[in-house]
Amino acid sequence: MRDSWHEKIRFFLLHRIPLATTLMLMFIFFMPINSLELNYFRPTVGAICVYYWTLKRGYMFGYVSAFWVGLLMDVYSSSPLGLNILFMMLLVMVTNWLTRYFQSASFNVCWALFAAVGLGQILLKWVILTAYFGRLLSLSEVMINYFSTLMFYPLIVCFNVWVQNHLLPQERINE
Amino acid sequence: MWRRGVLLIKFSELKDILRRSFVVILFIVSFLFILLSKVDGVVVETAHDLVMDATGPIMQVVEFPSRIIHRVYTYFYDIGRIYADNRELREENKQMLILQNKVRTLEVENQLLSRLLNYTPPAEATFISAKIIAESGDNFTHMLLVYIGDEPVKKGQIVLGNESVIGRVDKVSGHYAKVILVTDINSKIPVVVERTRARGILTGNNTATPTLLFTRATADIQEGDVVVTSGVGGMFPAGLPIGFVSSISGRQINVETMADISRVEYVRIVDYGLSNEEEIRKDFFESENNAR
Repeated sequence: MRDSWHEKIRFFLLHRIPLATTLMLMFIFFMPINSLELNYFRPTVGAICVYYWTLKRGYMFGYVSAFWVGLLMDVYSSSPLGLNILFMMLLVMVTNWLTRYFQSASFNVCWALFAAVGLGQILLKWVILTAYFGRLLSLSEVMINYFSTLMFYPLIVCFNVWVQNHLLPQERINE
Repeated sequence: MWRRGVLLIKFSELKDILRRSFVVILFIVSFLFILLSKVDGVVVETAHDLVMDATGPIMQVVEFPSRIIHRVYTYFYDIGRIYADNRELREENKQMLILQNKVRTLEVENQLLSRLLNYTPPAEATFISAKIIAESGDNFTHMLLVYIGDEPVKKGQIVLGNESVIGRVDKVSGHYAKVILVTDINSKIPVVVERTRARGILTGNNTATPTLLFTRATADIQEGDVVVTSGVGGMFPAGLPIGFVSSISGRQINVETMADISRVEYVRIVDYGLSNEEEIRKDFFESENNAR
């Protein structure tokens, strides 16, 4: 039996919830905090969400969603347009591979995997941007950003778990 | 039925191929964006403008609560400092009154001499105030997004926070402008040390203290020296304060910005009426690259 049009729309909108909540979180974390020092501790929320949703609901969060997340990150920074898009899509690719082995892994394992993937990604980005700008970028600020992203991971995941349990159908999880 | 089944399998295969191709296309698009960013392509600008226009209003709504929190914090912070500030201001006021008298005398003298020389003064600078609505999304860059409304802002214009330079306009799209801060890796400003007139290029390094490069080895520069724009290259008018030398270690000279970016809510985008600012900016960077 074919689905009616309103069921199709409902299905479409439900599948956009992870992307919508990710973008909402990103906007919140782009808010001016009026401090250059605190700015270093601003986590890369987009990466956490892309990782989480690809790992837990890969069929709802694919390359296209990662493309939009990366595009927004690019526009709200002065790094070359396309770089964050590329990195978010690479994150989806790596996480898709990890999903085969770790989809139902515990929170701590997922966190540790994110730490490993994130470290590789941020170092690669640092190398590419250093080559792009032709100058050695300060690694300490980048590492501060990496650790603050790791620290914020549980908080963002808590929110995503809430979204998953309350707004998305089936597959209830307890973390 | 059999034929229909074959057709369905072929459709599903085609769908799978298309889906995979689409992912490859997305990767290619991101690569193309990076390459085009290097040459400042129209496609990249358009994509950038579209996203900024679409997300700008959302950002304006989102930043409102943060602004309220910051104002409440600033209010109580200021109350705590009110007595100390008052004492400092009284002292400053005494000094200012003496200076005011001197300035009046100099102004009259200047007018008389100008008339004597038949000197035509340059056009007065015009400025607009713009509200900061977003900050940089990552640690690899230092930028601000400001709301400019319908004001005619151009790429390359100077951005002041309080009274000193904090950056320049990098991109304008619709009602929004992206400002590259002086601390950003992309920022390069020709400067001069006010006391000794030693020239250099203030280069952002993504830290709070940009570096002063291309200064002469024999240049007399000390900690605390004020750094102002030199006007070389025509991008910025001369004499605008930027910061002061905060540390010197060997050939490494770091400059602390004068404007307290942590307390800037509004910026001033100044138009000094410099003709073809954009061309000048490009020429400057081209000549710098050639020199390298």
